[in-house]
Amino acid sequence: MSISPEPTYLARTFEDERYGWTRHPRVRRRAVVAEAALLAALIAATLAASATETGWSTWFFGTWTVGMLALIPMHSLLNLGIRGILDRDARSLDEHQRRLGERSHSAMGWPSVALTFAAFTGAVAVVALTGHIVLALCLGFLLWFTSGLLTYWHLAWTSPEESADTDL
Amino acid sequence: MGRQPKSEADKVHDRIGVLRADRGVSRKELAEAVGVHPQTIGYVERGEYSPSLALALRIARYFDLPVEAVFSLDPLPSLSQELLRRTS
Repeated sequence: MSISPEPTYLARTFEDERYGWTRHPRVRRRAVVAEAALLAALIAATLAASATETGWSTWFFGTWTVGMLALIPMHSLLNLGIRGILDRDARSLDEHQRRLGERSHSAMGWPSVALTFAAFTGAVAVVALTGHIVLALCLGFLLWFTSGLLTYWHLAWTSPEESADTDL
Repeated sequence: MGRQPKSEADKVHDRIGVLRADRGVSRKELAEAVGVHPQTIGYVERGEYSPSLALALRIARYFDLPVEAVFSLDPLPSLSQELLRRTS
């Protein structure tokens, strides 16, 4: 299959060579680790807040807001590193890029289902044990969100190293 | 669609690099001609990706050669060895 003769603005952005530095395996893997650590910290903060009497508090609100805002540049960097393969129109991808996306989707299928199940059961458990409904929703959202990111992390971690110069 | 080779026996060998050098064609130019990303040509050349039949045929057609002259399941002899064999 061919690359679309008129790639979308999004595809052109992901292919922009100004962001070539994000495609080095070391940068991609660091982005995965940073994103996973941030989400783990947010999950831990949610569990810690739900263990308190007050539940939703100012410190938790601050942590949640900062964490969610930090995810935006972090995920943008990670997505640039994988050329946005999972977000672009399939017509702007060639057969190898589509193959990489499909491989990551199938590799992370069951872990994603397991995390989605954990999101539901985790939220139910928080309500049952503490009665904090908002925090239960926060925990459920974080785990569900993480399940969606697994495919991105797998692709960023396993994508092969690119050639430095295609003009050769 | 093509795939990543799982073992050495699974690998598709090719002469794309040699042919590109011989014809003075860059990866980018070849990629544009056959409708793939330039990085994909690099992966095929390095044996990290086995192209689909359609892509293999398009590459062979670009070089105006039969597909078996460009791709092989067995390691391809170097062109100099091939020439030597034919002239001796």
